[in-house]
Amino acid sequence: MSKVLIQAGTRLLNALGKHSELIMQTYINGTVAEQDYSPKVLEQLVQLGVLWRPDPQSELRLKSAVRTLLEGSLQDERNRTINANIGASLASLKTLAEHYKEALHYNRYNDASAHMSDLTEHVYQLSESLSNSVRVLFSRITNEFGYVSSVDAKIRENELAQGQVTDLLSQLECFRFDQLSEIAGSNRELRHLLVVSLQQRFSKAAQELSVVQARLLDLLGRFREFQGRTRLLKGYLLHMEQHPDFEPGNYTNLTQVPVLFNQSDNIVGVAAPDVNNIEHEQDYQEIVSSLTHIYQRKARQEEENSQQDIDITEQSTVSLEKDPLQIAVEDYFCDVIDSGQPKTALCYYEEKGLTFDPEVWIYQVIGGYQALGEQEKQFFALDPHGENDHIFTGNFYITDITLGLR
Amino acid sequence: MMTEQGRVLSALLQGKFICQVTDEEAWRFLKRKENVEQLEPHLSLLNRTLSTTAEGDVFFASYSTIGEAERKILTQQFQETASNLVPLVEWLLLVQQANETDMPVTMGNAIRLNELQTTIEDTPAYAEQLEKISRYRMFGSTSVNLDGQLKQVFKRLTELGYLVKPNPEKQIYIATGKVEHLYEILRFIDETEALSLSEQAEAAISQGSLL
Repeated sequence: MSKVLIQAGTRLLNALGKHSELIMQTYINGTVAEQDYSPKVLEQLVQLGVLWRPDPQSELRLKSAVRTLLEGSLQDERNRTINANIGASLASLKTLAEHYKEALHYNRYNDASAHMSDLTEHVYQLSESLSNSVRVLFSRITNEFGYVSSVDAKIRENELAQGQVTDLLSQLECFRFDQLSEIAGSNRELRHLLVVSLQQRFSKAAQELSVVQARLLDLLGRFREFQGRTRLLKGYLLHMEQHPDFEPGNYTNLTQVPVLFNQSDNIVGVAAPDVNNIEHEQDYQEIVSSLTHIYQRKARQEEENSQQDIDITEQSTVSLEKDPLQIAVEDYFCDVIDSGQPKTALCYYEEKGLTFDPEVWIYQVIGGYQALGEQEKQFFALDPHGENDHIFTGNFYITDITLGLR
Repeated sequence: MMTEQGRVLSALLQGKFICQVTDEEAWRFLKRKENVEQLEPHLSLLNRTLSTTAEGDVFFASYSTIGEAERKILTQQFQETASNLVPLVEWLLLVQQANETDMPVTMGNAIRLNELQTTIEDTPAYAEQLEKISRYRMFGSTSVNLDGQLKQVFKRLTELGYLVKPNPEKQIYIATGKVEHLYEILRFIDETEALSLSEQAEAAISQGSLL
């Protein structure tokens, strides 16, 4: 028996694999393009229960079992059906549990283990279908019913989902754990399956469903808000089209101006810089340095524009008159050269009866010496007279200077 | 250094709308009651008070007492708003229709200019609509090509504070709280003038005419 079953199953799966493209095309398009495939292949698939023809005139379609398999495995968001028939599953669970207990009672262990595996299968199926339903609902919420475009369609989809949640919740009420635990009795395995495992799944599903319900309501509110806004916009345009001279009343003339139209204007102007603020010195410098560039350029342009007259009269000669002090120093140098004898500056000063401040005179002599070229300096020797400060060493007070030839 | 309080205060005094999109930090600041209490005396000194719109998600400063000078400013503002309503509504509808999701533009919505441009270019009706919108005085576009018109419209909307462009190098705009304010104004006009705009739109849709 089982060998035959295995063979048949393998044949079915092979056919599915072999014609995977046909099946996927049908899954996407809904119907088979019969002219594209050989009638033999189609016939074979019909016999295997993959395809079927709902009406003699209609085209071939995928069997719902295959479609469900694909939807479940591919997590396709188009999957909107939700298996809410929990009551029937529960009834079959109870029946199987009774079978199992009876077989145990009469010590038919083989039968009992067969019933047990059946029962396990059913329990897991039930919990899987529950979690699947919740997952499907969630996936639709997370992409905000992205598979339909208009807001109205989204609202309808949302309403459908809400109906499904309500159905699922009412089906969940069919769980009677007191009955289930009574059926399980003291049998450890039954208790584990019927009470522990199912209860965990049940409480999880109930929790998730309440979240789903809240989110759906939330979304519905948002969709309605969108709908309202769209209508508002369209309505306004329509109104303006029908009444082109419509103007809203001047609400600002009301004694109580609505807050919507009461918006104060800008009163914050630009502050003036405080040039005495040391903290900002750096910033001001940068600002000014970038500013002067602009002004310099402008100023130059103005200059060029204003220089239009050309002065063709003879340029007056400029006579450079030397400072009398400088002349006196030069005379002093010449005097030393002429006499060939060293002479102090103050002596010369007394001799000639000069009228400058003596200190200025000495200073100018030193300056005159320093101003000579390197070569000329070589001819003269400058010897200062004076004394060190008593307290601060390194400070030398010059009282007089001797200038001589080397 | 200016404190957050000072920064928010000066933004308000400049007549700016503060929402989560334009200035999230300031928005968070204003969401706290004690901060607002501290701010209010400064505002009231200048005959202003903090107001909110869009269910408390958008903040702005309004006059606390309205004298002649204030009324003059408000009237001027209102006239500008009223004359801008039609272009703005047409623009909102254009973006909504060209945006395949059919969702109205709301605060925080991202509008990708390139995608929008592609859709509008591919649909002559939208292109015509855009040209009409860009010619309004509010946008003042003189461009003959679609690219220039679209850019001008978005530039003006950014200047007016309806959109922000978070990244200057990307052509992505985000709708600000001022868009919500616009909806509120429409709703207000609808109610005050008893226009029953929604009903008009619904009737038109059910008759299959227009839109």
